[in-house]
Amino acid sequence: MSERWLRACALADVADGEALAVELAGLSEPVAIVRTKGEVFAIKDVCSHAEVPLSEGEIDGCTIECWLHGSRFDLRTGKPTGMPATEPVPVYPVKIEDDDVLVAVEES
Amino acid sequence: MPATVAGLHATTSQEPADFAVPTGREEEWRFTPLRRLRGLHADAPLGSAGASVSVDAAPEIDCSERSRPAADSAFLPVDRVSARAFAAARHATVVTVPKETAASRATVVTVRGSGATSATAAHTIIDVQPYGRAVVVIDQRGSGTFADNVEISVADGGDLTVVAVADWDDDAVQVSHHLATLGRDARLKHIAVTLGGSLVRLSPTVRYAGPGGDAELYGLCFADAEQHLEHRLFVDHEMPNCRSRVRYKGALRGAGAHTVWIGDVLIRPQATGTDTYEYNRNLVLTDGAHADSVPNLEILTGEVIGAGHASANGRLDDEHLFYLQARGIPLDEARRLVIRGFFGELIARIGVPELEERIAAEIEAELS
Repeated sequence: MSERWLRACALADVADGEALAVELAGLSEPVAIVRTKGEVFAIKDVCSHAEVPLSEGEIDGCTIECWLHGSRFDLRTGKPTGMPATEPVPVYPVKIEDDDVLVAVEES
Repeated sequence: MPATVAGLHATTSQEPADFAVPTGREEEWRFTPLRRLRGLHADAPLGSAGASVSVDAAPEIDCSERSRPAADSAFLPVDRVSARAFAAARHATVVTVPKETAASRATVVTVRGSGATSATAAHTIIDVQPYGRAVVVIDQRGSGTFADNVEISVADGGDLTVVAVADWDDDAVQVSHHLATLGRDARLKHIAVTLGGSLVRLSPTVRYAGPGGDAELYGLCFADAEQHLEHRLFVDHEMPNCRSRVRYKGALRGAGAHTVWIGDVLIRPQATGTDTYEYNRNLVLTDGAHADSVPNLEILTGEVIGAGHASANGRLDDEHLFYLQARGIPLDEARRLVIRGFFGELIARIGVPELEERIAAEIEAELS
């Protein structure tokens, strides 16, 4: 297994406190690029509780909240921090290069 | 807004544009991962090249190909995918059981997906004329993307068993609607066996055109990792003195395995003397698997014989396993025995011995 860095979007595409849904080659599900308090995170854009895009939810510090049922996830680990979700959501490593957001996707 | 069962099933139309493109928030679509439907629910073009259909009919049965589902057909699609499949299907495979004729053996409709990249629409008609008796097996294998309708009509006094086997390859996607209409004193036994496919969504609907109809709807499904297997049943009691029984069982194993069972029953004000019961059990065999089970019963008359439902999701019972282990049966074998028993009573209802053996063997294979 090796990592491949893919360009997700420009840093300027995501305002602080907001999220952007992007499709990445090699991933069947979209990824939410989240910018909060100067940091950028990448998390699978589907809540683990119901089929809802997390990118449409609210961001509070290092937490993203699903707008439909209120499940909360830690953006750093993907672990659920609030019910009704009990399963984690995958998160991906992120780096910023030349004002682009790059996301690491595992290759098998 | 609290939806009623009647409200959920109120819209029927042959015109796809009468149904909005679902967003995933609708009650009817909220469990289905729309992203994996390859545009079936939206506007993906539907052709006819992706599947071959052949019929091995009992000698008493008439089998034909009709150029397309007749526009004046009484078939009324209940959602966008069904309406799109109805509009797009160029041919209908028609199995007719003549009046007062009993078929001497099962008729098998074989559907083979060719793995085409474009989506395929299909239409099948099973027409049982008065007092006809038959068993029809729909055996679906192969790969591809499918939207199809099966139109079932059992006329007065008819008796039909339909076994729909979805044994698709791991990458297949299917959205299927079975719409059955039962005449006076007609009997339907409908058995869904859903084992293979990336995403399978089957919606069997039963309507009664006369009193005394009797519908038994059975189903068994086994979801592996990343499989989404969904069954949405609707029994519309609009005639007096009809009976319905729904009994579905599922097992799930592996991360991302997902089953959905929706059992809707509506007893309309005029449907006095109705006797209905629905039952769903799901066996969650590993972590990371997810079973949703939603029975809905709307009763608009007090004059019923019975109306009930039951649903439970759970794990293998430790005491069952302990009992078997205490008698020297290894844990693996004990688990298999309990699961075999769980599905056994449903398999025994199929009534076609070769098929019973094949499905039992496939369940065994899922467990190994």
